Amino acid sequence: MDTKKTLSYGIFLLILAALPFGLNSNWVSVMTTFLIYSTVALSQDIVLGRAGMFDMGHAIFFGLGAYATAILNMQFGWPILATIPIAIILPTIASVLLAAPIIHLRGDYLLVTTIGFNIVFTQALKNNVFGVTGGPNGIFGVEPLKIFGFTFASQNSVYFLALFILILTLIIIHNLETSKPGRALHYLNLDSLASECIGINTKFYRLYSFALSAAIAGLAGVVFTLQFSAVSPDAFNFIQSVLFFTIVLVGGPSSIPGVLLGTFFMFVVPEIFRQFAEARYLVFGIAMILIMIFRPKGIWPVKFGRIPNFLTKEQ
Amino acid sequence: MEIFLQQLVNGLTIGSIYALVALGYTMVYGVLKLINFAHGDLVALSAYIGLVIMMQLAGALSPAALIIITFLATMVIIAIAGVILERTAYRPLRKAPRLSAVVSALGASLVIENGIMLIWGPMPRIYPASIVPNVNYDLHGVYISLMQILVLVISFVLMIGLYFFVNKTKLGTAMRACAIDQDAARLMGIDVNRVIVTTFIIGSALGAVGGLFIGMYYRGITFNMGWIYGLNAFVAAIIGGIGNIPGAMLGGMLLGIFNALIAGYLSSSWAMALTYVLLIVIMIIRPTGILGERVAEKV
Repeated sequence: MDTKKTLSYGIFLLILAALPFGLNSNWVSVMTTFLIYSTVALSQDIVLGRAGMFDMGHAIFFGLGAYATAILNMQFGWPILATIPIAIILPTIASVLLAAPIIHLRGDYLLVTTIGFNIVFTQALKNNVFGVTGGPNGIFGVEPLKIFGFTFASQNSVYFLALFILILTLIIIHNLETSKPGRALHYLNLDSLASECIGINTKFYRLYSFALSAAIAGLAGVVFTLQFSAVSPDAFNFIQSVLFFTIVLVGGPSSIPGVLLGTFFMFVVPEIFRQFAEARYLVFGIAMILIMIFRPKGIWPVKFGRIPNFLTKEQ
Repeated sequence: MEIFLQQLVNGLTIGSIYALVALGYTMVYGVLKLINFAHGDLVALSAYIGLVIMMQLAGALSPAALIIITFLATMVIIAIAGVILERTAYRPLRKAPRLSAVVSALGASLVIENGIMLIWGPMPRIYPASIVPNVNYDLHGVYISLMQILVLVISFVLMIGLYFFVNKTKLGTAMRACAIDQDAARLMGIDVNRVIVTTFIIGSALGAVGGLFIGMYYRGITFNMGWIYGLNAFVAAIIGGIGNIPGAMLGGMLLGIFNALIAGYLSSSWAMALTYVLLIVIMIIRPTGILGERVAEKV
């Protein structure tokens, strides 16, 4: 990473770290949501932007993480800290099991099948499957996280927890970008047949991207549970998945600043216009169409280092 | 056995509504290779417009004339809306990456859904009960209502009409040519833009009939029902093999019967989940749908 990039990320994170001292509690909670959803959107980007698979069921993994923490804490009395590994491992296993049989599907078919998984997931939650999900109302009253005697109960402490998870995600994605699996995903995205011919195990790397993104989304789910000390099925329905899908494409696939901007655009901007509550999604839809017309590759499209322009240009 | 036959009749009714809506998805997908996410919302819009027209004209006309005029007027209005949708949200993105068009479709869906909410409010609206006389015919213990007969007959007539249009007319042939290869079709002198507009007109008009049936059959309509009916119809299109017109009809019927049997024999709270389990199973066994053809990967 060059100095200019390091510097701009440093400034961005410093501003985020300073925010809770300058905002009222209402906005701190909006910004906490922004951090959590940014993390989920960045994890969605691994599958959608980097591996190029149309996954429209990403809220499943987010929800599995959130529900794992809530159920283990409320029904089985586990401390939150002990639930975190489960909330990461469970979505990872689920993602591999769900994705393995459908990984070969072509674009749009994969999209619809993942929507299908998402709908089955929320229906299972609503029907109180195994009697532990709390039905349509979800689970209330999850305990705060305690580490070494410190309790993450205040709003600001949850904010910093969310910021910590976001930074962790950024580090993971930075490492992915510069590593062998990251390059494999990039080739896979550009041309899956050609990448298979040069010896990339496409099925393995497709599952790899699903597993990695599900693990990150599950971790974000834990913070989501802590922020509201509750979970409910509607927070993880397929509309949410559609939203994450849109964030990545509006912002710019496989571009970190793009995905962060996309999350800002889809989650924080509607909060600013809350006084026009009724019309805001109408304006929003128009904005989505206009952005795609004028910037079809997203608001902040990714630039790939030294690849000459004539190679990256759309044919 | 009687329960089974009764559910079969109900399933066929719902199934033909799904099939009408699914045709709009499948035709647009065939020509543009785009999931038109706004189609479901056009269906919801048609239910609202149909209700307004019926309320305005109620009492002034005989029931039969009222129904005919409502259907024709709604079909025309929704077809125009479909053309506007194509012009504003899809045509500027014809050359863009495919996913951009998907986002544009999602944006258009938000616009229509929230437009309906702003105009008619967030509360559900109820269709009057008296439009179609509530008559039930007894077929040896299986009941079929006049409304169900109307749905089945009109749907079948429209579907057979569409089948002949696509297979026997010049414009239909042009449509099939565009679905195979747009560039080649253009070289053969086909006006591709006109074909796409025709596709949107026919798809939207059929969706409008579906929306009116939803209103008249279920009676309660809400501004956000487009997503649910749209997704179900889309699943029907996929089950049959998307881009394939007989496939959409078959998929719609299968889905309707499947839904009705689950609701009759199991619980209705799992009906939707099981619908999607069916979809996933079909996708695993036959990734291009029942009547779909294997599409070669582009190298």
